[in-house]
Amino acid sequence: AVGLWPCRALLARRGGALRALCGSVRGLAAEPETHFGFQTVTEAERREKIYKVFESVAEKYDVMNDSMTLGIHRVWKDILVHKMNPSPGTLLLDVAGGTGDIAFRFINYVRSVRERQLQRKLKHHQNLSWQEISESYQEDKSKSLGDSQVVVCDINKEMLKVGKQKAQHLGYSEGLSWVLGNAEELPFDDDKFDVYTIAFGIRNVTRIDLALQEAYRVLKPGGRFLCLEFSHVSNPLLSRLYDLYSFQVIPVLGEVIAGDWKSYQYLVESIRRFPPQEELKAMIEDAGFFKVDYQNLNLGIVAIHSGFKL
Amino acid sequence: VRCRLSPPQRPLQASAVLRRVSDEQKKEPLASSSQQQLDSHPADPQPEQGPQGPRPSYTGQGGQESEDYESEEQLQHRILTAALEFVPEHGWSAEAIAEGAKTLGLSAAAAGMFHSDGSELILHFVSQCNTKLSELLEQEQKRVQLGEAEKKPTDQFLRDAVEVRLRMLIPYIEKWPQALSILLLPHNIPSGLNLLTSMIDDIWHYAGDQSTDFNWYTRRAVLTGIYNTTELVMMQDSSPDFEDTWRFLENRVADAMNMGNTANQVQSTGEAVVQGLMGAAVTVS
Repeated sequence: AVGLWPCRALLARRGGALRALCGSVRGLAAEPETHFGFQTVTEAERREKIYKVFESVAEKYDVMNDSMTLGIHRVWKDILVHKMNPSPGTLLLDVAGGTGDIAFRFINYVRSVRERQLQRKLKHHQNLSWQEISESYQEDKSKSLGDSQVVVCDINKEMLKVGKQKAQHLGYSEGLSWVLGNAEELPFDDDKFDVYTIAFGIRNVTRIDLALQEAYRVLKPGGRFLCLEFSHVSNPLLSRLYDLYSFQVIPVLGEVIAGDWKSYQYLVESIRRFPPQEELKAMIEDAGFFKVDYQNLNLGIVAIHSGFKL
Repeated sequence: VRCRLSPPQRPLQASAVLRRVSDEQKKEPLASSSQQQLDSHPADPQPEQGPQGPRPSYTGQGGQESEDYESEEQLQHRILTAALEFVPEHGWSAEAIAEGAKTLGLSAAAAGMFHSDGSELILHFVSQCNTKLSELLEQEQKRVQLGEAEKKPTDQFLRDAVEVRLRMLIPYIEKWPQALSILLLPHNIPSGLNLLTSMIDDIWHYAGDQSTDFNWYTRRAVLTGIYNTTELVMMQDSSPDFEDTWRFLENRVADAMNMGNTANQVQSTGEAVVQGLMGAAVTVS
């Protein structure tokens, strides 16, 4: 039953090996080689291929997420924002945030925290003059988010387009901005953001170490790095079931729902190629973060890594 | 499954926030007495408050590194100490910790380093109070040894020690019930209990207790009971300067002192009754 993928992998590796041979025979200083799923490509090729993948899936991205994960991805993202526990006034940078899932959740969370804060304030101030009461009402209206802001940054125009449409459709306008940018080279100044999140995006970054360094750079001292990503399952039984599901069901869903088998084949392969929890933790520490730890969700299918710029 | 930080292979890079320990030493005078104290007793689960100079390598592998920069634990202590002043307004919560972090020039997101229910803040505060109490008791002992002060009778000593310790709660008294309830959460009970027992042990040590029999346990159990009940009374006391609480404390300590006498009296009365009965039995038969 799991026979399909080893064959494909072997073919791909042989193809990659041939290419590598040709490169060395030609004697050119070949570009650094990396992986695209189970294939071996140059870094430039990889970036281009990934761009094309997301360009083609952008429209159906959310629908596919729901069908592949049976809606559980919503819970994962909720857990991420709860772990963040943002207070009003927080500046969030959501990288590879494409369709805005994390950004919208952040706004909802901050809004409800702010409401609770205001209610508590009201309870304490029972003896106010009319002047003070009217002032406080004016203040409340303009600060329903309490100065919190989220910047959604993505390298892919199509994903940003879908995100903006969603925001309009759902009625999110305040405290939200959309920026086109590359995670390996962020268009922001140093020491700007309170929290940096990257949900299901770091897997698609070609040079993860550069992205981590950029994350460190743009965070304020005391700022937090949060990464939500597919990771490695150590439980053998679950691992077999997961592999089965990934390689047999997901590409089929991709073909049926989005008309795109290859992109979802890439998705599943890229998950297998991504470093496991401990390795990613070491990479985050190398970038300079402190108090790095991770939390496995669903026994390791997904993991949240967290680090602080101290 | 959550994974905790293990000592990393960290290149020596300038950290954004962790200060050089040498800077701190210039700012804060070392409390030398507290260092000695904590070694002789069952240690508090929290390390002593404030930087005490180069600490043994805790996070860094290279000996050089940990000597030059403060560790994350020390930074966490600084944040928690700064957070204490926001407790009357925000309660014992992650918000107070976030405000504390902001005063140190850190982003509010640094509060994410701690548990979201504020329990670390409370444990830090309790540990700080216990350390202060130990210092005061030691200073007093020194004065007695030097002959500058008279040695207090046991009941007076206990009363004063408990009063001094409870007075440290006064600035936070409004939010203290919240703190007590958080300390009763299952994951906090071990640490909370640890701090409580080591404090009680401290007090008895300075009171001059050198028992090696079962008395050791009874004395500590009794004092723990006195302390806890007095604390609860203090929560709902509205008399000026908590007079009612101190009177309650006085009565409880007096009861405890009498308990020893009462036990002896009961025993001797019992013996007398038994002898009388035996005598009656002998006379009759």
